[in-house]
Amino acid sequence: MKRGHNSAMHSLITPGSILRGSIKARLITIVVLSQTLLAAGLLFTGVFDTHKRLLSTLDAGMQARAMSVAALVRYAEDAGGSLYFDDTLMPSSLDREHPDLFAVWTERSGLLTRSANWPAGLEVPPTGPDHWNFKFADVHYRGLRLFRVPVLDREEGKSFRPESLTIVYVAPKIHLDEEVNEAGISIVLSSLLLLVATVLLALWGIRRGLLPLQQLAAQAGLVSTHNWELHLPEDAKQIKELRPLTQSMTTMLARLQHSFDQQREFLGNAAHELKTPVAVLKSTLQSLLQRPRASQEYRAGIEHSLEDLERLEQLLQWMLRLARAEQWAHGALRRDLQVIDVTATCEEAVERTRHLAESRNATVHLAKNGPVLFRADPEDLQLVWVNLLENAVRYGPEGGSVEVAVIRENTGPARISFEDQGAGIPAADLPHIFERFYRGDPSRTRTTGGFGLGLAIAKALVEAYGGTITADSAPGKGTRMTVQLPISHTQ
Amino acid sequence: MRVLIIEDEPRLAENIARSLREGGGYAVDIAHDGQEGLFLAESSEYDVVLLDLMLPQMDGMQLLSRVRKSGRRTPVLVVTARDDKESVVALLNAGADDYLTKPFDLGELLARTKALIRRGKGQPSPVLSVGDLELNTVSRSVLRGGRQVTLTAMEYRVLEYLAHRPRAVVSKTELLEHLYDYNWEKFSNVIEVYISGLRRKLDDGSSRQLIHTLRGQGYVLQDGMPQV
Repeated sequence: MKRGHNSAMHSLITPGSILRGSIKARLITIVVLSQTLLAAGLLFTGVFDTHKRLLSTLDAGMQARAMSVAALVRYAEDAGGSLYFDDTLMPSSLDREHPDLFAVWTERSGLLTRSANWPAGLEVPPTGPDHWNFKFADVHYRGLRLFRVPVLDREEGKSFRPESLTIVYVAPKIHLDEEVNEAGISIVLSSLLLLVATVLLALWGIRRGLLPLQQLAAQAGLVSTHNWELHLPEDAKQIKELRPLTQSMTTMLARLQHSFDQQREFLGNAAHELKTPVAVLKSTLQSLLQRPRASQEYRAGIEHSLEDLERLEQLLQWMLRLARAEQWAHGALRRDLQVIDVTATCEEAVERTRHLAESRNATVHLAKNGPVLFRADPEDLQLVWVNLLENAVRYGPEGGSVEVAVIRENTGPARISFEDQGAGIPAADLPHIFERFYRGDPSRTRTTGGFGLGLAIAKALVEAYGGTITADSAPGKGTRMTVQLPISHTQ
Repeated sequence: MRVLIIEDEPRLAENIARSLREGGGYAVDIAHDGQEGLFLAESSEYDVVLLDLMLPQMDGMQLLSRVRKSGRRTPVLVVTARDDKESVVALLNAGADDYLTKPFDLGELLARTKALIRRGKGQPSPVLSVGDLELNTVSRSVLRGGRQVTLTAMEYRVLEYLAHRPRAVVSKTELLEHLYDYNWEKFSNVIEVYISGLRRKLDDGSSRQLIHTLRGQGYVLQDGMPQV
C-alpha cells in the first residue's frame, strides 16, 4: 500500500519535479530570476534617482520663486518702517488648477501676507524644517521655509532697524509624482520587453547548446554488442564541457567490450571443452550400436565411455570451482573466516600432492618461517597451493625438485613461492597463463589431463583475499610462481 | 572413396573413422593436428575432408583457407563446437562446404559426408545410373537390368567410384588413391582383380558391356564403347 502511494506521489507533476527533471527549465528559471532581480534593481534606483533629481529641481525653483516673493515685500512710505506686500507685481501661477501657495511673516509683527488662493483650513506655522512634505485635501505638497530673508527694498538714510522675513512657499507635487511614475512605468515596460527577448534567446541558445548532447545520445544509442564503436559527433568532440563525458564513455565502452569479449571467449571455450567430451561419448556409443559387435568390443566401448564421462565430470568440477572462486572474488559469497596458519595449509598441500610427486620421482622442499597468520578459509588456500604444486611437479623434469617457501617479513605482505626446474614458460605465453582455458600447447595438456583452469582458479582465489599472483620464468631453467597475501600486522 | 579426418581428440577421430569405414565403405586417414592435416590434404587425393576447428599447431580456419588457396576443390565438412551464427558464416565464407556441430549424430555425419561426395562429383541423386545399371549409395545395393547383383565390399567401392564419374577415364592410380588410405601403393596389383570380378558379375548374360579397359590409360564406366 505504502509503495503504491509513493509511486503515485512520484508521478505527480509539480514545479519542483519539472525543475529537477529538466536542464532547460532550470536554466530558464535562472535567467528569468536574474532578469527580474535586475529589473527590480533598475526600477528602484531609477525611481529613486528620478525622484531625487526632480525634487532638487523643484526645490531650486521654489527657492527662486520664494525669493521673488520676498522681493515684493516693500517698506511703506512712512517713517515707522512698516512693511507691505506688493501683490500687483505677483506673476500668476503656471498651473491654475493646483497653484503655488506662499505666506510671509515679518520678524516683528508676524504674518504679513498670504497668497490669495491660500486654502481655508490649511495652517502652516512659520517655524519648522527648511523642507517638508505634507498632504492637504488629497493633494501632496512640498513646503519650503526661508528664514531671516532681508527686505530687499532698503531705503537709504532710514534710521530704523531693518526687518527680516520668514517666507513659506508651498508647491503641489503632482507633476513630480507623475513624472516619477512615468519613469517607473517605462523602466518596467522596457524590462519586460528585455525579459521576453532574453528568454527567447536563452531558449534558442539552450536548444542549440544541447544539440551536441542529443547527437551524442543518438550515437550512443547505436552502440550494441555487435557494434562497440562510438562515433563521436564533431560538435560533441569540440565542446570542452562534454569532454569528460565523451572520454568516460569511450573508456567505459572499451572496458565493457573487453569484459564482454572475455565472457564470450570463455563461453566459446567452455562450449568447446564441454561439447568435445560429449561428442566423443556420443560417437562411441553410436558406433557401438551401428552393428552387432563382439562382447570385448562392447566392453572396450563402455570402458572408453566411462573414461570420457570421468573427464567430463572433472571438467565440470573445475568449472564450478572457478565459478565459485570468481563469485567469492566478487563478494557474492560471504563467509565467516577464521585466522589460520598459512604455513600449515602449505604443509597440507604438499601432503596432498605427495602421490603425484612420487609418481614423477620429484621431491618437494618446504622452507618454513614459523606460523604466518591470515584470515581465510584453509580450503581456498590449499586449492591454490595444490594447483601451483601440481603444475610445478607436472611440468618440472622427471626426478626434479620443487622449492616452496613461505616468507614473512616484519612489514609488507607474506610471500609464498613455488619454484620448479622445468622447461619454463615461453615469453609469448607468460602474459596469458592466468586466462581461463589458456593452454600454451594444447596437445601437451591433453596427455597431462589439464583443462587450463587451474591458474585461473588460483588467481581468482588469491585476488578474492586481496592478494596478487605473479609468474617469472626463464625458458630452459624453470618457473617461479609467487603469491603475495596482504597480512595485517595486528592479526 | 577416401576421407581425411582432421581431429585432435583421438577417440572421436577413431569413432568417426570406424563409422565411415563400416557405414560408407570408405578409406579413412586421420590427422591429429593442423600441420599434419594440411600436409595430408595437400599431398593426397581425398573425396571429402572432415575438419575440426580447434586444432593444435594450426587452427582449422587457417588450414581451410590454405587448402582453398592452393586451388583444391575437395569438399570440406567442418565439425565444430561453435554454433553461433558468426562462426558458421565465417567458416562457410572461408570455403567450407558444410558444417556439423558437436555433439553430432554419426548417422547424420555419414549422410552429410555422402552428400558432399556426390556434390563434389556433380551427382545430385543418391541413386547413380549408367545404362541399365543402378547403384544406390544409401543402401549400397546394385541392380543390373532390374536384377540384384551381389558384390564384395571392395568390388562395390570400385564400382561406386566409377559410377560417380561415368564416361570419364579413371586411371588405376586414381582408383588406388581414392579407395585406400595412405598405404595404397601396397595394393597396386589388386585393382585388376576387382575389375575382372565386377565385369564377370555385371556384364555376364548382358549384350552391352559397361566396364571398358583403355590400355595404358585406365577404366571407363559407360553404356556402349567409349570414343577414343
